[in-house]
Amino acid sequence: MPIIEYKCPNCGSGMVFDADTGMLSCYSCGRKDNIEQIPDPLTKHVFSEEDEAREYHCNSCGAVIMTEAETSATSCSFCGSAVVLSDRLTGELAPVKIIPFSISKEQAMKAFRKWCGKGLVTPSGFMTADRIKGITGLYVPFWLYDLHNDVEVYARATKVSTYRSGDYEYTKTDYYDLYREICLDYVKVPIDASEKMNDELMDKLEPFPYDKLESFKTPYLAGYIAEKYSYNDEELYPRVKDKIDKYIYSYINSTVSGYATVNYTDVDIDTELERADYVLLPVWMVQYDYNKRKYTFAMNGQTGKVVGKPPISKMKVAGWFAGISGISFLTLHLVSSWIIGGGFW
Amino acid sequence: MILAVLFFFVMMLAVPMDMIAGEAAATKEKQLIFDTAELLNQQEYDELNALANQYGAERETDMMIMTINSPEAYDVKKMTQDFYDDYAPGYDKPHGNAVILMLDMTHRDVYLAGFYKAKTYLDDERFDKIRDKITPDLTSGDYKLAFQKYIQTAHKYMGFRLGVNPDNIFFNTWVQLGIALALGGGIVTLMVRRSGGRITVNSRTYEDASTSGVVDYEDTYLHTSTTKRKIERSSSSSSGSSGGGGGGGTTSGGHSHSGSRGSF
Repeated sequence: MPIIEYKCPNCGSGMVFDADTGMLSCYSCGRKDNIEQIPDPLTKHVFSEEDEAREYHCNSCGAVIMTEAETSATSCSFCGSAVVLSDRLTGELAPVKIIPFSISKEQAMKAFRKWCGKGLVTPSGFMTADRIKGITGLYVPFWLYDLHNDVEVYARATKVSTYRSGDYEYTKTDYYDLYREICLDYVKVPIDASEKMNDELMDKLEPFPYDKLESFKTPYLAGYIAEKYSYNDEELYPRVKDKIDKYIYSYINSTVSGYATVNYTDVDIDTELERADYVLLPVWMVQYDYNKRKYTFAMNGQTGKVVGKPPISKMKVAGWFAGISGISFLTLHLVSSWIIGGGFW
Repeated sequence: MILAVLFFFVMMLAVPMDMIAGEAAATKEKQLIFDTAELLNQQEYDELNALANQYGAERETDMMIMTINSPEAYDVKKMTQDFYDDYAPGYDKPHGNAVILMLDMTHRDVYLAGFYKAKTYLDDERFDKIRDKITPDLTSGDYKLAFQKYIQTAHKYMGFRLGVNPDNIFFNTWVQLGIALALGGGIVTLMVRRSGGRITVNSRTYEDASTSGVVDYEDTYLHTSTTKRKIERSSSSSSGSSGGGGGGGTTSGGHSHSGSRGSF
């Protein structure tokens, strides 16, 4: 049976992961179970490969569970039981680690409202945050890459100094040949592996607190939606390389300070993939309706950081612009009038 | 609040600066221009005399112009001093606040002098600046323009406390407006761009500092090249024409003044 459900041993209701306590909880009778002590069915059963078009039936009510191909955890649309589709989490698809949610749904709603209220250029109607259409706890698949880089840099640099002598100004340019050999290790660089997620949005959610990484256990997924990766680590390797290239160049630049100009003649970066771990990271997705348009925001399920493009109020932007410009103009003018020592004009 | 600031802002731009103070001037005009060399036609004379009256009143200083083209002309600075002693000009009293431009067409010399209040606000250096501004126009024969610039610049410079460079671009209202608008635009752009959250990881976030670092480096000196450039000296004001002393002095009548002389 590829469906895993957690039934409360006391009352038989479905149990879900509670972000506040970090326990598997039953909302009916209040029972809480430590996740460490629950035997994980995934480690015991091995599922045979079956065809894509398989059907999942809810263990509680028997209804067909409607899922997208990427979903690995969801809830039954008829009875609401939290279900985990175990065959989408085993073998190649088994996550190594997981950062569980530490922000509950209520806290997430509160944090999102607070964030909306702080918007300086968003319309007032948006700031009240009373049109939250839906909020979903989502475990997003990420690859965490450990990369070892050997970098060799050759560059031509100059130092320039000027001095005066008599009626002439002399410009002295010293030329140097530079060589740098740098070793750079980057650990746990995250790249989101879900096709559906906006890469830019996910990049802004970083950093995730890696000290909260736990070994993957299925009960963490109970009550949340989880996805399996759409791209494997090899397919996403160019993205992570692109990401660390920027870091590498900024490091190289920091090693050649003190020169007026630096021209790189040869930069040789040899990147070695040490490991790539498949992990699930917690994200609250907030759907918001404003002015007949849908807005999607994402919140880091551990740090509460909110990202997403909010609507912009043209009035407020114009107001800030006029205010800042007007006040700085007045200040400039008063200060210069004071320096001049004359009248206002 | 924002609208009020905006309104005030627009108002300030809309009111031309000269209009506020300039209205009371035209009541009684006195003759401030003595064009014996006949460089100006009647219309030009009227215009300039009105301008000198108006601007002079604002600075409580007579802004005078003398032109001479006669074989009797002697040293331009001495002529200026003698004119002040004999004619006794002054806005506030005889032998009072005055700026005089003496134009000697015979020797093609020009002298600028400031008495009393004009002396405190217009030192030799500022007169040099005014003279530098009008000399090209005098050379090309555009006397009306030169005189107009002289009156306007003397008026402007007398509005600046001594020791402040009146030509500093930051005192220009339009430059200030430009800076203010650029500042507002920049900050607002930043606010809009940051409204959707920003990237808070940097190049060091994922770096393992314990194993990362520079393994080997070498900076090899190759050679040096030197270029030289002649320093352009700004042509000193008194250089070509130091006939009777470049700057100010004291008249025979005992009136101390500042000034600047030169040829055109």
